[in-house]
Amino acid sequence: MAELLLRPFAAIGNLTLAGLESMGRAWRMFSSAAVSMRSTDVWMPLLAAQMARVGVASVPIALFIATFTGIVMALQASYSLTGAIPSYFVGTLVGKTMILELGPVLTGLVLAGRVGANISAELGTMRVTEQVDALETLAYDPLAYLVVPRMLAGILMFPVVVLLAISIGIAAGWFTALQLLDMSSVEFVKGLRIYFAPWDVWFAVIKSLSFGAIVTGAGCYCGLQTEGGAEGVGRSTTRAVVAACMIILCLDAFWAAVLL
Amino acid sequence: MDRRREVLVGLVVVLGIAAGVFGSIWLKGGWRGGQTELRTAATSVGALVPGAVVKFRGVTVGSVEGIEVLPSGEAVMVEMRVLEELVIPQNAGVLLAPESVFGEWQAEIVDRAEFGLPPFLDYPEAGVLPGAALPDFSRLTASIDQIARNLTNISERFEIAFTDETAQNLKNMIDNMGVLSDGLAEIIAQQTERFEQLAEGVDESAQELGAAARAARISFEHFDSLLLGADAETMVADASASLRNLRELTEGIGGSLEDLRAAAQRADATFARVEGLVVALEAPDGSFGRLLGDPALADGAVEALAEFRGLLADIKENPGRYLTFSIF
Repeated sequence: MAELLLRPFAAIGNLTLAGLESMGRAWRMFSSAAVSMRSTDVWMPLLAAQMARVGVASVPIALFIATFTGIVMALQASYSLTGAIPSYFVGTLVGKTMILELGPVLTGLVLAGRVGANISAELGTMRVTEQVDALETLAYDPLAYLVVPRMLAGILMFPVVVLLAISIGIAAGWFTALQLLDMSSVEFVKGLRIYFAPWDVWFAVIKSLSFGAIVTGAGCYCGLQTEGGAEGVGRSTTRAVVAACMIILCLDAFWAAVLL
Repeated sequence: MDRRREVLVGLVVVLGIAAGVFGSIWLKGGWRGGQTELRTAATSVGALVPGAVVKFRGVTVGSVEGIEVLPSGEAVMVEMRVLEELVIPQNAGVLLAPESVFGEWQAEIVDRAEFGLPPFLDYPEAGVLPGAALPDFSRLTASIDQIARNLTNISERFEIAFTDETAQNLKNMIDNMGVLSDGLAEIIAQQTERFEQLAEGVDESAQELGAAARAARISFEHFDSLLLGADAETMVADASASLRNLRELTEGIGGSLEDLRAAAQRADATFARVEGLVVALEAPDGSFGRLLGDPALADGAVEALAEFRGLLADIKENPGRYLTFSIF
């Protein structure tokens, strides 16, 4: 009876301890990675390749998502703004929404699935096949070799991908407004400009920087913590994507509260 | 392979940064040719924000760059960038007003002669255009709401105050006013009639006065003809003698009147003394008054007087009983 009563508390305690343990490990890993940034000769040659994998290779999927987001935004804005509200507010809605919210967040979520899962699976496989141990044996710093170039690539390339996605999303919304909503370019551009503030773009860049760090960092951490063979790789991959998505949404709210 | 990858990465990065930078500049309204700075000062800027459009004759010619309250707090300075080739009218002012009903504001360069209201703020600094802000829609709606509430209050109070009794009183007042107006009309008619009668009387009097004047003139003419006659001196002498007699008679009457006045004064004094005596006698606290007012006292007094008379008679008859002389 007493055991039954204590079980929920034990579960909560285990979860708390596990969470704190994970946070401690992550903190240790990221602080060690920051220290490893001094080994530029190790990570610098790998950076371009990682930028291509993390950023350039993600551009098509990001633009695809942004294109349809822009189209849907324009259509839904037109649907919602019928009546007394002038049609140029379609441009306002598409622009503001793409720049402030949907561009960074949707791109971040999509890249969490693509990049975060990729990194986690790759590093997890290296961990379970003892390649990471081999690097250590060969006196390579696994953090400088594996983590730093990926995280730097994510931090640098996410804003670029997000800016491209925002541009394409707005362009898609504009095209939709012209072709499907019987609006003129003048109206759409007026709506775009009427509430535009340059700070909005900086807000999107800051958010995407943090999302890049989170997505690649979660992938690296979960990958390097992988245990238990192929099944463990799958588990760590899932965990990396879920953690990255949750942190992205939390950070989105955090930045909105802090910066706007 | 590495070279190609690097180029690809560089291309994507440049594209992304270009998209961000040039997109921002374009959305901010850049690339409008040469621009110049223009400033205006107003007591308030309403909902104007940096980035709002600047219009001239309905055409967008620039944008608002900055808004700041002056340190003295007396005005708000608005900095704008407008097309360099724009020719600003001599009597120009900047009207800050809603661009539409959806909240966005604009700064419009206007000729102040065409916009007498609202009053523009003439800021004492060279190069600063006078500015004025129209009330926001929310203020207007708030004012309308206030007016509507006041009207509601008035109608409610009117409803409370205008009861059946009030209506009856009002009806009575109107009836009274009718009666009063009838009375006034009657009075006015009477007065008119009297004035007419008075006018007729005056007319008659004037006619009579005219007749009297004519008669007097005839008499004077007769008198003049008499004066011009031969016995005028005799008539004057007789008249003079008659006047002397009349004066003597008048003086005699005057003396008699003086004697009469003195006799009357003496009579008055006598009557006053008699009256005082009577009052003293009739005074209720006096002996005579009590005597007159109290029959028992009067009877007592009569008895005492009778006894007194008896005593006097006894004294006359028997003086030795009452008077004794002794030397030692």
